[in-house]
Amino acid sequence: MKPKTPWSPAAFLERHSYFILTLIFAGFSALPFYWAASLSIRNPAETFTVTGLAIPFLQYQPTLINWIEELAVGESQRALLNSTIIAVGTAVGVAVLGAPAAYALSRFSFRRPANKDFTIWFLSQRVLPPIVTVIPIFMMMQVFNLLDTRLALILVNITFNLPLVVVIMRQAFLDLPVELEEAAMVDGASYLDIFLKISLRLTMPSMAAAMLIATAFTWNEFLFALTLGSLDARTIPVHMAGAVDTRGIQFWFVGVRVLIAMGPPVILAMLVQRYIVRGLTFGALKG
Amino acid sequence: MKMLKTLGLLLGFSLVSSLAQAGEGLKWYSDGSVDLITYQDREVIHLSKDQLGTMFGKGKQPFKGKKIAITVNNSGPKGGISGPLYRLRPAWEELTGAKLEIVEMPLAEQLSKTMFDLRMGSNQYDGFIEGAWYMGEYVTPGYIIPIDDYIADPGFPQWDPDWFPPSLREIHQWDGKYYAVLNDSDGQVLYWRQDILGSKEWQTRYKRDTGKDMPHPPQTWQDVIDIAKYFDGKNWDDNDPDPDDGIVMHFRVNEQGMFHFMSLSASFVVMGGDTVDRGTNNYWFDPDTMEPLINQPGHVRALETLYELSQSGPAAQAAWDLGTAWDWFLRGKSIFVFSWGDVGSLVQDESRSKIKGKLGASVLPGSYEVYDMNKNRWVRMDKPNIAGNTTGGSWQGVISAKSKNPEVVYSLYALMATEPVSMWNVNRGWTGVDPGVQIHFLPPVGTASVMGYLKEDFHERDLFYYLDAYHKNFFADTMLPYLRINGTEEYWRALDQNLSETMIGRMTPQEALDSTYKEWQSITNRRGKARQLKQYQQSIGYRH
Amino acid sequence: MRRAARVKWIFILPASLWVLAFTVFPFFYGLYLSLFNVQFGVEDQFIGLGNYTRAFEDSRAHNSVIITLIFVFAGVSIQLVLGMLVALLVNRPMPFRSVLRALITLPLFATPIAVGFLFFTIFYEEGGLINGLLGVKIPWLSTPHFALLSVIIVDTWQWTPFCFLLFLAALQGIPEEYYEAAALETTNNWKIFWHVTLPFLQPTVILVILLRVTESVKVFDIPYTLTTGGPGVATQVLSMFAYRAGMRFFDFGYASAISFMVFIIVMIMIFSLFGRIRQSFAGSEREQR
Repeated sequence: MKPKTPWSPAAFLERHSYFILTLIFAGFSALPFYWAASLSIRNPAETFTVTGLAIPFLQYQPTLINWIEELAVGESQRALLNSTIIAVGTAVGVAVLGAPAAYALSRFSFRRPANKDFTIWFLSQRVLPPIVTVIPIFMMMQVFNLLDTRLALILVNITFNLPLVVVIMRQAFLDLPVELEEAAMVDGASYLDIFLKISLRLTMPSMAAAMLIATAFTWNEFLFALTLGSLDARTIPVHMAGAVDTRGIQFWFVGVRVLIAMGPPVILAMLVQRYIVRGLTFGALKG
Repeated sequence: MKMLKTLGLLLGFSLVSSLAQAGEGLKWYSDGSVDLITYQDREVIHLSKDQLGTMFGKGKQPFKGKKIAITVNNSGPKGGISGPLYRLRPAWEELTGAKLEIVEMPLAEQLSKTMFDLRMGSNQYDGFIEGAWYMGEYVTPGYIIPIDDYIADPGFPQWDPDWFPPSLREIHQWDGKYYAVLNDSDGQVLYWRQDILGSKEWQTRYKRDTGKDMPHPPQTWQDVIDIAKYFDGKNWDDNDPDPDDGIVMHFRVNEQGMFHFMSLSASFVVMGGDTVDRGTNNYWFDPDTMEPLINQPGHVRALETLYELSQSGPAAQAAWDLGTAWDWFLRGKSIFVFSWGDVGSLVQDESRSKIKGKLGASVLPGSYEVYDMNKNRWVRMDKPNIAGNTTGGSWQGVISAKSKNPEVVYSLYALMATEPVSMWNVNRGWTGVDPGVQIHFLPPVGTASVMGYLKEDFHERDLFYYLDAYHKNFFADTMLPYLRINGTEEYWRALDQNLSETMIGRMTPQEALDSTYKEWQSITNRRGKARQLKQYQQSIGYRH
Repeated sequence: MRRAARVKWIFILPASLWVLAFTVFPFFYGLYLSLFNVQFGVEDQFIGLGNYTRAFEDSRAHNSVIITLIFVFAGVSIQLVLGMLVALLVNRPMPFRSVLRALITLPLFATPIAVGFLFFTIFYEEGGLINGLLGVKIPWLSTPHFALLSVIIVDTWQWTPFCFLLFLAALQGIPEEYYEAAALETTNNWKIFWHVTLPFLQPTVILVILLRVTESVKVFDIPYTLTTGGPGVATQVLSMFAYRAGMRFFDFGYASAISFMVFIIVMIMIFSLFGRIRQSFAGSEREQR
């Protein structure tokens, strides 16, 4: 292969154009967060008077009163804690239950029901609009005495996100060539060993992506958090909806809450980053 | 530097106050009276022995060991309606020996969540600070209890239902019995920029440009339209260099837009009188057949008027929620706004308002022509027909029938309704509790002290306009009847959607109201016409 | 092989039993409820298929279907293409790559309820971020067509990272040798993409379409807070329609009926798409051990 030398004009331009495009898109992704920050450090009266890029000090005088007020109340912190606990519980649940199921669907053949049936059944769990299940799930939680508990929300979120993880990981396992696993089998390794030490490790990017997605869905889940929770199990989305009071939407608190709510996910996303991209080491394993 | 100093002060203050407020909610006097000390700000509200009720006294904690959970709007310890509960909690807990759990719920979801709880039998809450239109949903299945006996009981904190004007009394009762305790009183009045409309300079200019005298203060909606049209598009306010508007309204769909229509249309539709029948003191349905009256000529003309008026406002208002629309007025960009008491108190808050001291207000203007739904023709009056309204939430405490401690709940509501606490609430705008009953207004029509308001930084001239407007509104001879039957939310939302379509020009007023008529028929049929009819008759006091 | 038989069930049963336990009752109860006139205050009345026939005649329901279809079609198409493009970009070495990747993924975690409120101020027509910056007066939220566009924009902002993540993970799985081999024959990046990358990505593309469509049909939070379904009914997507019927008016029978109709339509789509995957990839599915 004749690699493009890093300093030839064509390569230089090409490489930079990718970078620039990525930069633009990242900016587009980040801009609303910048705006949220700006809302949060503005006086409520300036919510609508500051326009355009809202450059602090230039267009308005920043203030911390919204942050102080919000944090003094303690509701944000509580919602954050609840959401984090529910997200972690759900993540563990869907990983432990979902990865093996996905593996089974990709490596083994089922006859009654067939693989395809399982997969479609799992996928169909995401199709039914949740409003249908609000009453029956409320009833179930009432019977188990789990109303207004974090556990109830963990159970519900595992139920709804498990299918997602299964479907995503199934595809990842399908895309994984079997040669390594077959070699290990010949060497006498158990199914569990192969699954954990080879298959799962090689599909880490997809697993990380699936977990991130399941966690995001759980973090943002509104309907059940609203109906099942009231005081003890208030989550971030319900707390967000609460930014509307009898005088309208309090945009300055929305700004603060959006940023506070991003805390744990940002940390999580950063931790998981390195699992998503495994770079060029993949090729080495094949040799 | 200033920011750091403020930060330091705030942190220090909250630290000190959180340390200091441990345990101290009351201060007793030898004559049996007591000071209630509010949470955090540590303000003092003094109650006499009589006002406190015979159950309570130093050392007496009649409800020791009990716990109640109350649902309320999600405004936090410093916001409207929920704030006062937080402030009075330590005092009330020390008084009663009981514990109060304040369960905040997003405003739009409170009815859903509480009905869910009641219907499914999970009974997690003892009381609800409801919006007045919830009552139909709670009362008809027997989910809440009447409180006449509690009111009459001298053991509880004392408040007088006679303070209510008939319009407000009605929405705290159902079929003659009391279910809700005095708290907030909501209604829409007309606010304007008195510094502009009252200025000789602008009045002269108006006369010069239009050839007519400025109809100020406006007596009819047409007056409002004329003035709004004149000022729309001119830069009459020097807070910013951009042109300003004549009026601003909050039309965001599925929120409070339909209240604008209800309040405005009242004077075109409601004919006063001593009886109640299809065409007298009636608005919503035919009281014999439950046929919707929403597309009668009076309603249609009112919607046409509303639409014409809206053209003098910013086009963006079709999507504006309450706060966003008010912000436009508070920033000085609109001559008029017609909305709730919060506007008057927000105007006083200089961190939100640029127009303190420039406020004018009156009860909503009227219409010379009213459509008589008995005779099915337009009637022209000698004076404009003015109709007051109680549109809005009028957030009020009710008690769940499933509560194990109803008297404990009542004691909380009653404490909030005693004269000193009620005055403390209405004096302060941030509480969201607006004036409406006799004790809130100034003499000669009421018994309130003007100092109470002025001490909380209410501008004197604004205050006189504000209280006068609300007094005339709640005590008006003709009132818009408040719809509270089962399914009110559904009827209102159907109307709201069609109104929104009209405001963006997708439907004509006639089409919108005809469509609403059809939708209301299906809603009535689905819920059972006989049942709906009976409730409607009860709610308007119709005897046939 | 008995060992394989036992193992495969051990692997799949926990997940299957869990889902069964938590969804069978709700699914059938919901179906049962759809045959009733539910009111919350009086007894539910049995009305058979009444809710279903009502949906056929309800023009507001039809409106919601159309709005949702437009939203799903436009939104998913844009997100698919954009997500793929960005994944391809980020797949290359570049400075600050991990930071950029993190930034790109962020929107996925922003609570959609709050995002609606946030973008309300961004789209504020008398100023705001966009109109203020560009100096125009685009009626983002106060006119029907722009309101729908606004919702699509916000949805795209939030969900492109979803597609991006899945495509990036899939790209990581493409063995280097294929690129090396292709590079021997051509240096045209487009050709390499079309003949090497895309075929590998096809199952992921289908997966992303399936997942995005099923999620998109249920979109709720963003129209709920950004436009509240308006102006008028211009952004009243199906889930908002059902939410109003169920949670606001307690008409859960109708809400369930509408939801089941949606369910059937999407399931039909899934079945047909799924058949397509099996055909293309008969070879890559491992049948037996």
